[in-house]
Amino acid sequence: MKPPTMRAVRAYLPFATGGLQSLLQYRSMFVITGMTAAAGAAVTVFLWRAVYADTPADGGPGGFTLTGITTYLLVAQVLQVLHTNRVDDEVAAEVYRGDVAVMLVRPVSYPLVRFFASLPVVAANAVLVAVPVLVLFALLVPLTVPRPGDVALFALSTVFSVLIAFCVNLLTGMTGFVTTNTWGVRMVKQSVVAFFAGQLVPIALMPQPLAALARWLPFRGMVDGPLTLLLGRYDGAAGALQVLVQQVGWVLGLGAVCAVLWRAALGRLEVLGG
Amino acid sequence: MIVAHELVKEFKIPERRPGLAGSLATLFTRRHRVVRAVDGVSFEIPAGSRTAYIGANGAGKSTTIKMLTGITTPTAGYCRVRGIEPYRHRQRNARSIGVVFGQRSQLWWDLSVPDSFRILRRIYDIPDPVYRRNLALYRDLLDIDALGTTPVRQLSLGQRMRAEIAASLLHDPAVVFWDEPTIGLDMVLKEAVRELVNHAHRELGTTVVLTSHDIADIAAICDSALVVDRGRVVHQGSIQDLLRSADRRAVLFDHRDPIAPDAACAIVEQGLPGVRATVVDGGRVHVDYPATEFTSRRVLAFLLERFDLADCYAPEPDLEDVLRQIYGQRRDAALREVDAA
Repeated sequence: MKPPTMRAVRAYLPFATGGLQSLLQYRSMFVITGMTAAAGAAVTVFLWRAVYADTPADGGPGGFTLTGITTYLLVAQVLQVLHTNRVDDEVAAEVYRGDVAVMLVRPVSYPLVRFFASLPVVAANAVLVAVPVLVLFALLVPLTVPRPGDVALFALSTVFSVLIAFCVNLLTGMTGFVTTNTWGVRMVKQSVVAFFAGQLVPIALMPQPLAALARWLPFRGMVDGPLTLLLGRYDGAAGALQVLVQQVGWVLGLGAVCAVLWRAALGRLEVLGG
Repeated sequence: MIVAHELVKEFKIPERRPGLAGSLATLFTRRHRVVRAVDGVSFEIPAGSRTAYIGANGAGKSTTIKMLTGITTPTAGYCRVRGIEPYRHRQRNARSIGVVFGQRSQLWWDLSVPDSFRILRRIYDIPDPVYRRNLALYRDLLDIDALGTTPVRQLSLGQRMRAEIAASLLHDPAVVFWDEPTIGLDMVLKEAVRELVNHAHRELGTTVVLTSHDIADIAAICDSALVVDRGRVVHQGSIQDLLRSADRRAVLFDHRDPIAPDAACAIVEQGLPGVRATVVDGGRVHVDYPATEFTSRRVLAFLLERFDLADCYAPEPDLEDVLRQIYGQRRDAALREVDAA
């Protein structure tokens, strides 16, 4: 995937606007996604709050305070909503049904089309699901107030985390070329990501070998990375930079893997039916 | 314009064994069967022609179209569209072609037709005058405005097909590939599609490649036919020439003579030995004669002489029959070659 030039943006932007138009027809879907996210957040947040109920003010396990762990898990839930870009579902379905053929007769790159089509999904999820859930919990439980600098770092890091999520989901969807059971693959991906991203359990709380593994996987940049920055759990500028550099590295690396695999898949594409 | 040279496409199909035990076995061992969908086809389609690409079921029509549109890569051989190998330069090729797959929609399922067109306009970077001219044309010929703001998923098949055909021509492509495009169109719309193609052909010299099972579609849209059987081109020429090569023709007639339908058949079969006469619905007689032994003139003269004809017509030969005959001859020839050897 080459960096999009102006002409490319002009050609691909309609996939984003068209996608938004399509999305807006399914308003009730966002209500349901919101309720699911809120319920999920409630379960983890209140469970972990019970665990941390009697922690001293200077921090309990993993160096988290009660408000710290609450903030971590809530924002992790919000990030997960931003990673739900539907790319894995749609690519898998289009490959399975052979509809990918229709995309291929157009003068556009399919991975880029999918990327632009995922933007409105992420944006809509952010505005219609993530913000309301965040506001709701902010009213219910005390949260850490981050430093403004950390918020800026977190925002930048979130952009990279969304890009990593796009690549991971694209790769997951592309397994449709080799298996018809993409549902299973997607389930496995979801569990692996939820665990190794530090969404279910903060990486700081994992046993040493597991934490080491998690730190070297791309999924870390999806949840643990941005939250490390938001909560100021890094060692000075170098520490913050390290998180960002690792994320960018994974974005580029996974992007390259996507491009190579996509080319290979096209070479052996056998469109089903017809 | 469009060239295919010894084009081959093979698919690997996993073999599934029957029954539950078989299904379990496939979990552990995978055997593949190689299927040759396109078997060394060579042809040339000149620029500006409207060609029906015809072959029996499984002749690899759709697979060939997929290679010409750059979706699949040939296993061997090559094809070129306007000098480009489509699967090597997919996006470049895509700029100058328009495609309709009868079985799949290329419109946006949740958007209206005008919205889909607006997206296509941006993707293909269609200049304003071209876009406006084409929209006006579709408004006149296809009544596109009637589709309004309904999402594509709620359109009827005929309505959707109309929009698909318009979408494939929107960017003034040099070549259009229509794979079974007129499914669901009524006669009036078929005529409109015909006119649309004629217009594009006249104004822009658009080349059309169509696959269809429906002779009415083919006759309505195409002027030439490319018949492929087992990887070989067995006929390339006008549709009329193809139909003229039919070895059996038919005449149907009604008469006012006071005789039983069976008796009428007997008269025909006795008067013209070698002819088959059968009664079809409503007492109408269907006369089927070998074109090699009888001229239409002789058959019609006989009918006019013996019957008080109320109605009489000679349908076009059935394309399927013509094709079956062509394929049959080739098979016979192949057998003779084997015998001679």
